[in-house]
Amino acid sequence: MIEVEGLSIRSGAGPILRDVGLTVSPGERVGVVGESGSGKTLLAMSMMGMVPDGLAVSGAIRIDGRDMSGAREAEWRKLRARRMAMIFQEPMAALNPLARVGDTVAEPLIRHLGHSRSAARARALELFEETGISDPERRLSQYPHQLSGGQRQRVLIALALACDPDLLIADEPTTALDAAVALRITDLLVRLSRERDMALMFISHDLAAVSRTTERILVMYGGDIVERGATSEVLRAPAHPYTKGLLAARPSLGAAGRRRLPTIPGTVPPPQELPHGCRFSGRCAVEIARCKTLRPAEVPTDAGSAACHLLTETAPA
Amino acid sequence: MRLPPNAILGGVLVAIVIGAALLSAVWTPHPYAEIAVTNKFAPASAEHWLGTDQLGRDLLSQLMKAAGNSMRVAVLAVVIGCVIGTVLGLVAAARGGWTEEVIMRVCDLGFAFPALLFAIMLAAAFGPSLTMVVIAISFINIPTFARVSRAAANQVWRREYVWAARAAGMNSFAISRDHILPNIAAPVIVQATIEFAVAILTEAALSYLGLGAQPPAPSWGRMLSEAQTLMYLAPQLAIWPGLCIFAAVLGFGLLGDGLRDITDPRLAKARTA
Repeated sequence: MIEVEGLSIRSGAGPILRDVGLTVSPGERVGVVGESGSGKTLLAMSMMGMVPDGLAVSGAIRIDGRDMSGAREAEWRKLRARRMAMIFQEPMAALNPLARVGDTVAEPLIRHLGHSRSAARARALELFEETGISDPERRLSQYPHQLSGGQRQRVLIALALACDPDLLIADEPTTALDAAVALRITDLLVRLSRERDMALMFISHDLAAVSRTTERILVMYGGDIVERGATSEVLRAPAHPYTKGLLAARPSLGAAGRRRLPTIPGTVPPPQELPHGCRFSGRCAVEIARCKTLRPAEVPTDAGSAACHLLTETAPA
Repeated sequence: MRLPPNAILGGVLVAIVIGAALLSAVWTPHPYAEIAVTNKFAPASAEHWLGTDQLGRDLLSQLMKAAGNSMRVAVLAVVIGCVIGTVLGLVAAARGGWTEEVIMRVCDLGFAFPALLFAIMLAAAFGPSLTMVVIAISFINIPTFARVSRAAANQVWRREYVWAARAAGMNSFAISRDHILPNIAAPVIVQATIEFAVAILTEAALSYLGLGAQPPAPSWGRMLSEAQTLMYLAPQLAIWPGLCIFAAVLGFGLLGDGLRDITDPRLAKARTA
């Protein structure tokens, strides 16, 4: 239902996304993983038509086959909430502190679906029940500060679901929550996606959460998609050195947990310092000469595809 | 929460002035315009608490009635200026780009225009009256409120809940009304309180110049100017209206400062540090 092709976004400082392509089909669950600064959030924002001012965008975003590049705000607004909705990383910050949460959820129902105030309230109550908000009747008239982090994230999910979107983009929905609550929120998202036959794009740096929720995975680094494929396959047999590094850097319990945790040295460089070739060069343990200057093409792997020069080498140099 | 002392003192002064103004609508010790030439320049007494003026009118009654006039002018002027200015500020922040640029540059132009000059122009064109004073003060208040609300609104527009509202398909009008406005109310109200003090002072100044309240409507500024020639004979006739202006302006100024300290604790801390 939504197709991104050759999407590049530059700021004054440098490139943020480079030639990104992806497709989300109806009802499927796609995970996007990568470190902070890899461009995950901007990718999500551009799929909502909410690229911040001052960034240069090229490439195409097609929704139901219609190219939205150059579309005006009003055209995007017609699609938001009804075709695709989004939930945010910080449930603390994503709710207006001065509005009752019930009103926040009821507003798009009144605006988009033409519900009356009382019908919108009744629907908001149903949504609160569906998203597992405790004591939903009372919550409707409470303010965000009276709710826990998990409850607030459920309110935001209810808000996103209000107009029955076909795609829900969840941008690190569990990062700000503690582990037990995070687990329940991911399970809720999967359940909602199944029950409503709603596509889910789950953005996270938490590989465990992505493997629980999604069927397909995209691994992003420095504004590139470096690897993609079936989630279980990619996590079982990663092809790209960056994916391997991410997997190795996962903490584990038990005997294996005593070892020193491997890390990927350094951090994602700022856009103006990204290398021209493979974005991961400079931090990669196995890089070869051409990595720095030549951009690797995506080549098929067992799990899907990956963009790494080593995969096209017959014998690693 | 402990209230800052400036808010308490300001609040008390404001309460007295507003109380006197409200009371004057239904009751004054004497009819404020009642002339008794035989009893002019009477000293303070049980009958006339603050004495009488050059025409034997009761001074306290006039001061109370003048408080009412002053408050009416200030409320109208500040409310009109605040509503128009805040709407302009919200539009500027919501639209951005050249809309914002045009609105704010026009406001800069308004800032460059002296209030008194504008009031004198209005008085010359349409004749002096309190209505002209209200129009003049509201007009010069518009850019102030536009600036304050735009700056605050621009900050709120960057908040994540505004992104969430956009993602939920709300347009910028609905976002401005439901999300931006409630969250910029505090600085706008603080500014309104401060502008209230300025409005009282401006009204007094214009009436002093004869461009505001026309006789017999009492006004602190006009009472002051009439008492000027009698300064040596009856200084109390100038002192009392002067004190009233002083108390009202100080009261609203302190209250505005106090409200700002309460609504923006960082600022209060920075000041005491």
